[in-house]
Amino acid sequence: MTIPRLFGAAAVTCAVLLLAVPSFGHHSFAAEFDASNCREFTGILTKLDWQSPHAYFYMDIKDGSGRVESWSFQTYALITLRRSGTDRQVFLDNIGKEVWVRGCLAKNGRQHYAAAGTLKLSDGVLRQVGQLQD
Amino acid sequence: MTPRLRHGIACTVVLTFLYALSPPAGAQDKEYAIKVMPPGGPAPRLADGHPDLSGHWLPNSAGQGLGGRFGVDPAARAQFDPKVTPEEPPALQPWALAKIKSMTATEIELAKPSVNCLPRGVASIWLQNPYSTLIVHTPRTMVQLYEVLNNWRVVHLDGRPLPRNPEPFFYGNSSARWEGDTLVVESTGYDERTSMMPEVLFHSDELRVTERYTRPSMNYLIVEITINDPKVLTKPWRSAPRRWTLGDGEVYEFFCTNNRELEELQKLRQQEVERK
Repeated sequence: MTIPRLFGAAAVTCAVLLLAVPSFGHHSFAAEFDASNCREFTGILTKLDWQSPHAYFYMDIKDGSGRVESWSFQTYALITLRRSGTDRQVFLDNIGKEVWVRGCLAKNGRQHYAAAGTLKLSDGVLRQVGQLQD
Repeated sequence: MTPRLRHGIACTVVLTFLYALSPPAGAQDKEYAIKVMPPGGPAPRLADGHPDLSGHWLPNSAGQGLGGRFGVDPAARAQFDPKVTPEEPPALQPWALAKIKSMTATEIELAKPSVNCLPRGVASIWLQNPYSTLIVHTPRTMVQLYEVLNNWRVVHLDGRPLPRNPEPFFYGNSSARWEGDTLVVESTGYDERTSMMPEVLFHSDELRVTERYTRPSMNYLIVEITINDPKVLTKPWRSAPRRWTLGDGEVYEFFCTNNRELEELQKLRQQEVERK
């Protein structure tokens, strides 16, 4: 086998192996979100959409000019959130309060939409509510 | 440099990077908040003397949910040690390999049963399922209640044979037998929308899945899967013996009623097509 063919075979094996890496239960983070385009956001938690397969929370965030934009953030599945101690009530208790989140933007360019990774609510506890991006 | 060579080098770099990230042996000594669950006492037994597989089983070695948790021993996240029981990648027929290679990452994602809120099928429900499974086992039946999608499956233990012309079901048609303390379940007749396994999102009408269940101790359930589909694979694929651990928490509802991924991914795919 020539070296290029050897590398080619390795690449196919690699592709199959990498497909097997578990990620989100429902879908792959990497398919929908850009791990190289992540940011930290601070704003006011305004709303929670607590449904399967993923919860979404909404924040009012000021842009550079001070204009307020409504962002939505996708989280893990509800089951995962509950089992890690971040249940629906935790979010509800923080509606109207300032929170911090690190998230990655959608690959399809959808405006004001990201996958949440880590989140700090008013209690200051660092919570993992979605796949860590780094 | 050819694209193939570049791909091979990239893969080698990725695998080297992943290897470098794996913890050295000494790192296992670190004190983690969440550790591997001990095996517990002897497995319980049914009235007929066979091991009782009943329990609330978590797909890791910790006996609790680990998603979103910090301070977890990597060994507790694992269901098997690939150094001890390695899993080979599936040996695909050339056409099947070409089919997978022809798909973009977005197209692969769109083809996943999970992304479409469809049942994962028998192999994938054990091979790639981050949620729990509740098993209710009697001498006559083994009922599997999957947390994901609120799915369930009944495996009859009355020795019934596989049907000659099975109706296609998402979880197949099963025939079960005991081999010592191992429950062997063979299944055929799958709905074409189920995946063969997480890495291979299609199968033929000749798909046959064999599950081997053992409960070596109170806290451990071992599930080993063999997949045979001669139209798609050049040889049967066998999983490592994967460990599920006994949990004591709640089983939660999971109806997939707010699926936004299809729309987002279809939009991304359309953008990719337009960029070509």
